[in-house]
Amino acid sequence: MLCTGSIVSIVGNTINLLLPPATSKDPGSYKSLPVIEFNNVTIYFITRKLYSFVQYKQLASFSPCTYTLTTKDYKRRAQSSKMESSEAGGSSRLTQVPPTSWLHPSNRIHRFLALLLMCFLCFGSYFCYDSPGALADNFKNDSHLNTSQFALLYSIYSWPNVVLCFIGGYLVDRYFGVRLGTVIYMTIVFVGAVLFALGVYINTYWLMILGRFVFGIGGESLQVVVNNYVVLWFKGKELNMVFGLQLSFSRFGSTVNFWVMEPVYKWVANYYSGYEQLGVTLFLASLTCFISLICGVILGWMDYRAEKILGRQDESQSDEPVHLKDIRHFKPVFWLLSVICVSYYLAIFPFIALGKLFFERKFDFLPQAANNVNSMIYLLSAALSPFFGILIDKTGRNMTWVIISIVTTIAAHSIMAFTFFNPYIGVITLGISYSLLASGLWPLVALIVPENQLGTAYGICQAVQNMGLATVLILAGVIVDKYGYLMLEMFFLGCLFVALIAAVLINILDSANNGVLNMSPAMRESVKTNALTTGTDETTNLLDHEESTDQEEVDCKRIPESSLEDQRSMESRDISAAQSNRIRSRYLAQILPNTNVERQ
Amino acid sequence: MHLQTLLIVFLLSLAYGQDRQLISKLNPGCPNCDSSYTLVYTRAEGQDDTIHQIWDFTRGVPSVIYAVGTVNSTMTIAWNRREPENFTFTESVKYSFAAAIDKLYEYEDCQDVGHIDDRCPRRALPLRDVGWALNASILTSDEVMITMHGFYKDRRRSGLIHMKLDLLPFTDYAVDLPRLIHTANSSLIDISLVNFTTSMNASRYAIHFLMVSTDNWNDVMNYTMRKSLDDEHTPGVFEIIEVKTPKSRTSGAGGFMQFRPVGYTEQERSVSSSTNAYISPITRKPLPNNMTTLGRFYKDYEPVELLAQQMFISFGLPGDGYYKQRNFTSWSFTFGYGSPPVESVSLFVIIIISIGLGVPVLLALSGVTFVLVRRYRQRRNLPERFIDDE
Repeated sequence: MLCTGSIVSIVGNTINLLLPPATSKDPGSYKSLPVIEFNNVTIYFITRKLYSFVQYKQLASFSPCTYTLTTKDYKRRAQSSKMESSEAGGSSRLTQVPPTSWLHPSNRIHRFLALLLMCFLCFGSYFCYDSPGALADNFKNDSHLNTSQFALLYSIYSWPNVVLCFIGGYLVDRYFGVRLGTVIYMTIVFVGAVLFALGVYINTYWLMILGRFVFGIGGESLQVVVNNYVVLWFKGKELNMVFGLQLSFSRFGSTVNFWVMEPVYKWVANYYSGYEQLGVTLFLASLTCFISLICGVILGWMDYRAEKILGRQDESQSDEPVHLKDIRHFKPVFWLLSVICVSYYLAIFPFIALGKLFFERKFDFLPQAANNVNSMIYLLSAALSPFFGILIDKTGRNMTWVIISIVTTIAAHSIMAFTFFNPYIGVITLGISYSLLASGLWPLVALIVPENQLGTAYGICQAVQNMGLATVLILAGVIVDKYGYLMLEMFFLGCLFVALIAAVLINILDSANNGVLNMSPAMRESVKTNALTTGTDETTNLLDHEESTDQEEVDCKRIPESSLEDQRSMESRDISAAQSNRIRSRYLAQILPNTNVERQ
Repeated sequence: MHLQTLLIVFLLSLAYGQDRQLISKLNPGCPNCDSSYTLVYTRAEGQDDTIHQIWDFTRGVPSVIYAVGTVNSTMTIAWNRREPENFTFTESVKYSFAAAIDKLYEYEDCQDVGHIDDRCPRRALPLRDVGWALNASILTSDEVMITMHGFYKDRRRSGLIHMKLDLLPFTDYAVDLPRLIHTANSSLIDISLVNFTTSMNASRYAIHFLMVSTDNWNDVMNYTMRKSLDDEHTPGVFEIIEVKTPKSRTSGAGGFMQFRPVGYTEQERSVSSSTNAYISPITRKPLPNNMTTLGRFYKDYEPVELLAQQMFISFGLPGDGYYKQRNFTSWSFTFGYGSPPVESVSLFVIIIISIGLGVPVLLALSGVTFVLVRRYRQRRNLPERFIDDE
């Protein structure tokens, strides 16, 4: 699992996913569930009535990488929801006695402890990921890296993950198991961080690159396992909250890094100087990975104990084929959307990666102050994304919001490129626009692509975005070295213009198609009802997906097939559990391909 | 006939974009001078005035003198053996501005801040002790360029001073970083300090400038740090420092020096080999004596007509390991007459912005038109139904 988000600071991949949809009557046949990995972008996806929001964190690697939920997971979830309902004081006939001791795995405090460990599990890799960004000028002065060499430190992290996120999750499901997998990946991350620090300490560039490469191998897959853990330990409402918390915590890890590294570096100056000083600073940073590793071991033990106590058991899994040829049937609108996914984010992450020196040089900021400005974007996205999610959920009109955020991003970059105004103005505008775009853009994919292809669709967005980021990071470094920061800003503006053109084209195509993408929830509802009576056209198709995302009422009247099945399967069970499962599964149906699981 | 020639010359110079006509000579009027004595005189004739430019290395101290006269003015040099003795103009000089690098300073950077500081020890290395050799030269009407190698005559002191002076008859960006703008009114000067030995633990080298202009003696030259949005030509450096004489400040008809606060610690100039260049406060200085070229040039002026100033340019970044880390420091500046050139936003930037903003707007407009037209047609196609409904 990759933690981290920006390019500079957060390159995290992985999708933080919810629960799987229940797709058949028998929980035992409830086999595998694809997890989509995103890079660096967080999407909060909040539905009105579902009281839950999903976050996609999107960045460095992509996939869909599959990760399998076994029946035991399902049982565990079912059990937990039973527990939850009894805890909630409902008149449930499931009368499993809630354990009173906090030592019991199902106790809230116990789970909270586990949550803490999971957060810290991620903390190390997020923290170390951004160390170069926080010490950018020291890398330039102490290790004499030019900007392109420096940018390679980041992009080398992404390269293995273009492929590895397919494999990492699979290995965990198939061979390692969550506990061993976590320890293995965390060890790889730790080794990578130490190698990198060693490379800096002896000032050997290839060793630095190797270190970052190893770090990337572990980091991406670590994200997958931690998600696995989260799904194992939390469910329902709590699950979404946990994903949210985890995401904020990873942003927090990056931010802390930006705050802390400079003072640490200065402190180390008492004992070392030059690149040795930088190396020692990085060794200290890699200690956070070691702490994370310890958290991983403790969590493994807790999980082992929980498994014993709760009686989880393994069951065999089955693989189902993916049909890549489905891609051919994706609508042009989807491809335009991918264009936005790539071009918009190209103007964000490379900017953060190279931002520190930009603020120092153009605005004469001190290194620490420059880091603070730079970290604003993540801080804002951590803080604002949920609210923008609610906003867009209430208002609909996603494309309008997307266009607005692209335009304000253009304004933000222009302010930084063509004025000497305090960069906080530009960066805050940028952070707000970025959060708004993420909230508006990613749900659109779910409106455009049939749900059973959603995994592939997100995977494609992820893939192109990753490739784009990995290459453009290098390119951005070259631009700065050869043509300066104004040209870099021009490049970002160029990317944003491409995104704007794509957005305008989507709007035009969409309005030729009754403008579904740009409707308010109420309009979607009414148009959908009309469409249902008049027949099946494109709009109906689109609204089919839409309805279950946003329209609780409509859902209740016209439940998708899978949910119907689901509901039938639940009849024999506790009503409240069935209800919550149904809601969850319907929600998940939007995010995950359900029955035909895609594997790649 | 003369008119015709003038017209052709004028058209040619327009075609080549030449702002001034350059005529340059090496050691004019000195039959005895060999390659170890170098003085380049350039007469740059423009439409309104002629700039007489002297690059002198004959006395060890590199000196650049600008003298502005009328279009037809000429200058002759009288030599005393192999050193220039008298500079005579056919008409009175309207304005003159000169600068000489009279000393290098080796200074202890005891605080590791980079720039030269009064509180730390320093040692002067006068350049009158340096022997110069002409390394390469171009003396044509398209370009006047010389490169000079200087060594201290004292063999115990190793190190090479490399200087390059370049004048073009039109406005252009320099090829090398920091890609300063040089015009027909200003020369580009590079100076590199190569392989100097250091005698202190934290040695850095600074350049000491002596500047003279025909301004009022109790006025001052000052410098301004200007920020530009465009670092296209000097990646990562947004500041430009301009030293101006009083006349340049008030009327734009004085002397100036322009440079970026950046030096380089490697032969190959790049962002990663850049270091900071610092300008010290500009202070008053007595007029140079008659033993120097500047002294000889200005000897006929009244003391109250001459403004003499001095300043240091020093190089380094905190924690960079001082001069000995790379044993190399180079720096560039332009020296000229008039208003310092201002860099303009390149065409590329303008094109990107206009395309980037134009295309989405066009698309949106055409999209709106398309939708409106379609709706209008739909409405026209279905009027009966609406009426029936009613």
